[in-house]
Amino acid sequence: MKWGLVAGMSALVCILFAIEWPRLSRLPRRDKMTFIALVFIGWVLSMFDLPNLPGPTTMINEIFEPLGHYLE
Amino acid sequence: MLEQGKISSAQMGKMIFLAVIASAVTAVPSYSGKYAQNDLWLSPAWASLTGFLTVYAAIALNKLYPQKSVVEYSTDIIGTIPGKLFGLLILFFYIHMTGLIARGYAEFIIGNFLPQTPISIVIITMIAVCAYAVKAGVESIGRTAQLFFFFFMFPLILMPFLLRDMKPDFLFPMLEHGLLPSLKGALIPQGYFSEAFLMSFFLPFVTDRGKGMRSGMLTILGIALMLTCINLFILLVFGTQAADYLYPVMVAFRYISIADFFENLDSVVMTVWILGMFVKISIFYYATVLGTSQWLGLADYRPIVLPIGILIAALSFWSIPNLNQASRFDVISFPFYGPLMQTICPLLLLGLALLRKKGKQQSQAQMTMAPEQAHTHTEKQEG
Repeated sequence: MKWGLVAGMSALVCILFAIEWPRLSRLPRRDKMTFIALVFIGWVLSMFDLPNLPGPTTMINEIFEPLGHYLE
Repeated sequence: MLEQGKISSAQMGKMIFLAVIASAVTAVPSYSGKYAQNDLWLSPAWASLTGFLTVYAAIALNKLYPQKSVVEYSTDIIGTIPGKLFGLLILFFYIHMTGLIARGYAEFIIGNFLPQTPISIVIITMIAVCAYAVKAGVESIGRTAQLFFFFFMFPLILMPFLLRDMKPDFLFPMLEHGLLPSLKGALIPQGYFSEAFLMSFFLPFVTDRGKGMRSGMLTILGIALMLTCINLFILLVFGTQAADYLYPVMVAFRYISIADFFENLDSVVMTVWILGMFVKISIFYYATVLGTSQWLGLADYRPIVLPIGILIAALSFWSIPNLNQASRFDVISFPFYGPLMQTICPLLLLGLALLRKKGKQQSQAQMTMAPEQAHTHTEKQEG
């Protein structure tokens, strides 16, 4: 695990909260929860070695591969 | 409504134009050329059929539900749970596509102009700029599209400078193996054409919606003409070799040399292309953000712009270790995945919505004619 990346992402998350919270505090609870959930997902994802991890693109490629080969 | 801004139908047309053509313009001649050989100039015409169908579906659905986007009316048409599921699929499609488009943009910049720069810097700076535009709302995206549209036309003016390098012989033999190669070459461009469905997110904010159909159809026609034009130029310059280049348009513009003074015009093309890509990514990004807030029923979409930006950046790296993998998606999945989500599903939705409307009208007519009879009739239907 790259600690520099973790520290960088955590700093980015703090900056995001600093920027958005003044506006968010006036909005309903649902908005706050969505914001926190999305930021958390982004923060967790950035911890992984994403380029070499199977993900949505792999899934879609697997689904459509037979059709794609038909083209070739 | 989440968004207070208003755009005109002409602005919407220009947004869609840039959204479809910005990435198509660099890659399509090479992808089409691979299958269509020297008939690649014919492929955009076939591909535009998908575009016309998509625009028709988007506009017809908007006529039935004028104030709603696809994420909202899908629940009205197919019920709450299936509608929400469909909305989730659409949102997943758009956030995924935004990431892949940003990746495609970055690969192009790294490959052609900034080989030393880490790819993450190129992606993150672009997403940051787009986040700023998305936060400013639909009006500012509409105006940037209107402004950049004319800049985007500039490379077409430069094309005649290539006349010296063109060989009309490359056009022949026309349709040597029948229509099939040009139809195969149309498969990838029609994926790009289906992106016109993005207009379903913008139609609720259009002030002169009556002109929506006209502007949408003209947009598709314009895209088809421009792609045909570019494919023809590329064919005349490179012949069937066009498919061997990754970005044939850039290579063609490197050929231009006027009096040893006007040279390296590919940098002009790149500048203009970055403007187009900015509009394209902003539009996809905006559709994702607005759709997500509609899907979750949020009070404001602005606070989730930056968090979704992080997700887009993550998706642009996820399971794509290199350029090969990035273009593999474009060739294998996108020609089917794009039209499935953006043309076929909306057409099905439209069919169901029309059936629902017809059923409602019939039952209303029966109710007014003979309330009791109709009551038993609907009960029978339901049973």
